[in-house]
Amino acid sequence: MSVQPKNDTLKFILSGDTQRSYKEIPGFIEKVNSLDKVDFILVAGDITEFGSSKEMEGYATRMKKMRVPVITVIGNHDLTGRGSASYVRMFGDLNFSFIFKGTKFICHDTNSREYKYNGQVPDLNWLAQELKPTAGVKGYISVGHVPPLSEDFDQKLVPQYKAQFENTQGFVAALYGHTHTYLTSEPGDRFNYLVTGSVENKEFIIVTVINNKITHERVFY
Amino acid sequence: MNAYFTRCTLLILVLCFGVRANAQQFLIPDELILQHAGSIGYVSAGAGYKLFNNERGNLDLLYGYVPKSKGGTLHIITAKFAYKPFVINVNKLGKIYPFNPGLFFTYTAHPDLQLKFSKDNWPKGYYYWSEAIRPHLSFSNELELTKPRFIKAAGLKSLSVYSEFNSNEWYLVNYFQNVPEVSVKDVFKLGIGVRMRF
Repeated sequence: MSVQPKNDTLKFILSGDTQRSYKEIPGFIEKVNSLDKVDFILVAGDITEFGSSKEMEGYATRMKKMRVPVITVIGNHDLTGRGSASYVRMFGDLNFSFIFKGTKFICHDTNSREYKYNGQVPDLNWLAQELKPTAGVKGYISVGHVPPLSEDFDQKLVPQYKAQFENTQGFVAALYGHTHTYLTSEPGDRFNYLVTGSVENKEFIIVTVINNKITHERVFY
Repeated sequence: MNAYFTRCTLLILVLCFGVRANAQQFLIPDELILQHAGSIGYVSAGAGYKLFNNERGNLDLLYGYVPKSKGGTLHIITAKFAYKPFVINVNKLGKIYPFNPGLFFTYTAHPDLQLKFSKDNWPKGYYYWSEAIRPHLSFSNELELTKPRFIKAAGLKSLSVYSEFNSNEWYLVNYFQNVPEVSVKDVFKLGIGVRMRF
């Protein structure tokens, strides 16, 4: 997906961890649909509690009421049982990227614990390919579920993982869910990250990016 | 798994050689069961035992199969227990059992489904369910045909048709946490089947 830039402003929603919280979704949708000029919604994983296809269908059916596209990243709960296969069938690859208004969004599986810390997740080789300079791409934003500060992320991979982003010209920020609580990097941190509160806690984040400068606003509903 | 096979083998040996004739009689099923859907396989087949003197209890053991085209391939073993508290006699047909509560357990054999999450990889309580074993609550209704001529002609004592609704602990958790956003019809699944008594 590639769209020619009309203006430089990107505005999107970061949310995550709907899990068992179906009754919180309509309020979430209503709030997002009431906002102006939202480009799309990122859901940073854990769209199910038990990794069942029935839950994924319940989530997808409800999220269709969003007025703008919804992009769903894989979470650790979604990988339990046969969830991985169900996610691939319904949403596509676990690692994927798209370019929107000159910014590349790199969505990837960071749920290392579910792979018994086999050193392959997150896939640093795939990330390196995605972060290569590309014509028409001026900024990079990554989206994952488990943030590197969590024990569920393979700690052996953290230094190289962060370095890959930090050394990328145009890296804007890394976005996550999983903790259910809002977190962000300190001003001046080279690894600029943002973790959203959960749908369960009736919270999401509005992210605005202008000329690779990111600002965000927490929203409660 | 080895211990499991040893136990199964021992059980079969005991059944074949070790027990008295009336005990063996006891193990011969009362019914042959075929079911479609209902959380135990796209198609399933098994044996039914009548329980208690009034024969109102059912113990069913089934093997179910889900083909690749229906979301498999899956092999599912099911053990069901149900009771029929109500009965309505129907002239010229037989009996209707309108509401039969029950519970059943399924075991799904699949490389992606662990019996339990390994303590070596996940802290205790990280995930609180089994991937391979699902407990289900069910209620069924059954029409038992004993009187039509074709029953006897077919060499049967009775032929039953039934429908069975079930839900499992995953769906019930999602239901009770989200009433009324998630409705009862979202969390119950339907199966239909026949029972043949020889």
